[in-house]
Amino acid sequence: MSEIRSESIDIRGQKVVLVSVKDGENAIGTCTMGASPYGGMGAVSRLLFVGNEPILNITCPNNANKKSDKIVSICPGFRGYDQKLYDIMSVCFTRLNQGETLVSGMKDIFSLLQDGVYAIYTADYYPTNGNGSFFWGGYNVRHEIKGSAEQNAAIGDENLYKPCFLMPTQSLDYYTAKALNAAEKEVKSRLIQGIVYHVSGFHSALLKGFHGAVACVKNNIPYKCAVIEKICDPYTDRSAEVRPVVKPQAPKSGDEGADGQQPEQETASQPLVIPVSEQEGITGFRSPSVKIPIELFPKDMLKVLLSSLSEYKPPHFGVISAKLEASGRKKAVSNNVLPLDVLEKAEQMPDASMVESAYAVPSLSDEELNCLLAGDVEHNGRVIISPNFYASIVTACNFLQFTDMKRFIDFSIAIMDNPELSATHEYVAQRVSLQEKNTKLYNFFKTVRESRDEKYEKILSAAYTFTTRYEKATAKR
Amino acid sequence: MAFCDLKPVRVNNDKTGMSYIIGEVLAIYSMGSQYPSVFSWDMVKSVSVTRRDITVNLVGTKKIINVSNKMFRSPEEVLRAIAIIEYHQRTYDFAYQHERRLFPLKSLYLECSPGKESYMGEGIIDEADTASSLIALLNFRLMKFLWLVAVLVALVLFGVLSYTIGMNRDNVLYFILISIASGGIFALIVYMITHAVARARVKSFADADLASKQVITFVISTMGFAACESCIYENRNLVLWSEADYFVESDKMFIIYKGRTPLAYIPKKVFSKKYIGGVSDIIAISLEQR
Repeated sequence: MSEIRSESIDIRGQKVVLVSVKDGENAIGTCTMGASPYGGMGAVSRLLFVGNEPILNITCPNNANKKSDKIVSICPGFRGYDQKLYDIMSVCFTRLNQGETLVSGMKDIFSLLQDGVYAIYTADYYPTNGNGSFFWGGYNVRHEIKGSAEQNAAIGDENLYKPCFLMPTQSLDYYTAKALNAAEKEVKSRLIQGIVYHVSGFHSALLKGFHGAVACVKNNIPYKCAVIEKICDPYTDRSAEVRPVVKPQAPKSGDEGADGQQPEQETASQPLVIPVSEQEGITGFRSPSVKIPIELFPKDMLKVLLSSLSEYKPPHFGVISAKLEASGRKKAVSNNVLPLDVLEKAEQMPDASMVESAYAVPSLSDEELNCLLAGDVEHNGRVIISPNFYASIVTACNFLQFTDMKRFIDFSIAIMDNPELSATHEYVAQRVSLQEKNTKLYNFFKTVRESRDEKYEKILSAAYTFTTRYEKATAKR
Repeated sequence: MAFCDLKPVRVNNDKTGMSYIIGEVLAIYSMGSQYPSVFSWDMVKSVSVTRRDITVNLVGTKKIINVSNKMFRSPEEVLRAIAIIEYHQRTYDFAYQHERRLFPLKSLYLECSPGKESYMGEGIIDEADTASSLIALLNFRLMKFLWLVAVLVALVLFGVLSYTIGMNRDNVLYFILISIASGGIFALIVYMITHAVARARVKSFADADLASKQVITFVISTMGFAACESCIYENRNLVLWSEADYFVESDKMFIIYKGRTPLAYIPKKVFSKKYIGGVSDIIAISLEQR
């Protein structure tokens, strides 16, 4: 029988809800599979499993380096997890939407987890894979998923971030237009749209709320999820200058915990300022979005944390691995097709590069942007973003694209118009040309197309693509 | 990532009131303190494992984790703690001192699928078998020069007898017989001493290694091999063949070597007789035989 304990702790005025699981059922979790058959001996395979089903194969390259993005795909032959687990998720999901707190609403899910301590909160998710594809069906082909590294190089090891992209735990075969119609009516009144379990980096596995995700994108409703995030990584803060984490504000993004009815749902939504510890050894334990100093853990929970592992093989691992190795399991590709407008909207959602830049850069003033345009990486003797000019431009573009579209367009045009910054032209043109419609951008690209100036050589193809698409869209109207 | 799934070990020192947790991190609960000092493995400077205790030295602190094997609740816990240390040693590369082992260090293992062609056996390693295999190996090497030693001793003795007593027709035959017998006896004494030394060495390895009294799982597969205590072994952990250099086969076991050091002793009797051929083939294909 699982032993579940929950506690709300206060970190300098911010409430964080912790749940500890002892003797959990190990029905939801991740485990290592050893050397990856794809990456030779230098890559390690991880597996996301739900019940007896292997769901996602996560290849961790470079000897599982935490700074490397993962290569992810759905396991062959996957057709969805056990009905019993599905029912448990449904019950919890209903409870949450009836106004129960996260802890009481999801208590049945907690007992399905691996032993350890988890942070529980709500957050808005983008239902994409972080690379412009809708998450459901975004992992059919094995590919590197940007933003899936545990430690983000742009954000840095010390800073916190909130996972916001999804991985599926149900096959696309599960999708039906009928269920979508029903979900479209329900999502408008739901308090919580989905339940997610954090897997790696910016990515969490969606356990419940698949049709809701489609419906939310279709109807432009923020996709607010209840998040379960394991706290297991030790951290050491010795510097007093820990930059507070500020939740980046996307133009369309709603903020979590806004309903006010569920106090603990507001946890971790505000900047967490971490107290600096003078003790020997590590300062505390962290997950992507929370850092908890050792002395703030309830004693029992700390014992559970120290006596458990970040991930481990469940007792039924033999069944799972037998399923993976069984011959005749075909690739889990469905013939179902999601609505086109949903796929198009997913393409326009912020991607991992934008989100990580938004976390990496606290703010960018116009003076700083002008310095970058002049080819400088410093402003008033301080490095603006990075000593590397190309990295600075890339991060600045992504930051502006996420936070302020108008400034992004202006900045991009200024870069592309400057022949001295030609090294960055191709990247900037490729990012900016993804915009659906923008008259200022159209006029600029039209000039580029017509001028045939050599300085625009690298952005010519992007200019053609954008102007053609823009003209077609205008003609339709 | 082999051995990464081992549960952390908790050790209490009843005398000092300290307790320790050896797992993904190292925790030290001092007597009376509510919260532990916790250290990650990248803060470890060196670890020493002897037959009596485990000592962990940490970077930037005077704190030392020193746990006697008697503090563990069972030998399985000691083995688990050692395996956890060796798993992290592979990742963090801290200085690691240990006594001689009968089986490969856990840091040599890699988690991978053993493949379809693999053989698994289980058993306690027999000290007498190991000694006799080493002696057989020793005999093979010793015989090359033992007869030379016997001849040399015989010649020297013959010379000494001739010089001191003087040689004539009556005693020459006796001198020859005495010299040959002495050479033989001397060679026999050398042979017996080396055997005694070999036995003593095997006994000292075995005494130093807790694994000698544990049930061992042996795996031979095309990917690699394993010889590990069953209580901590998972069947996907293997030492790749590239970690070993050559092997020697005696009538009772295969001895796998890395350089001049035996890496693993694999008794033949742990596998069914009908599989010995298959095991032998895999080892022979994977390593050079000497």
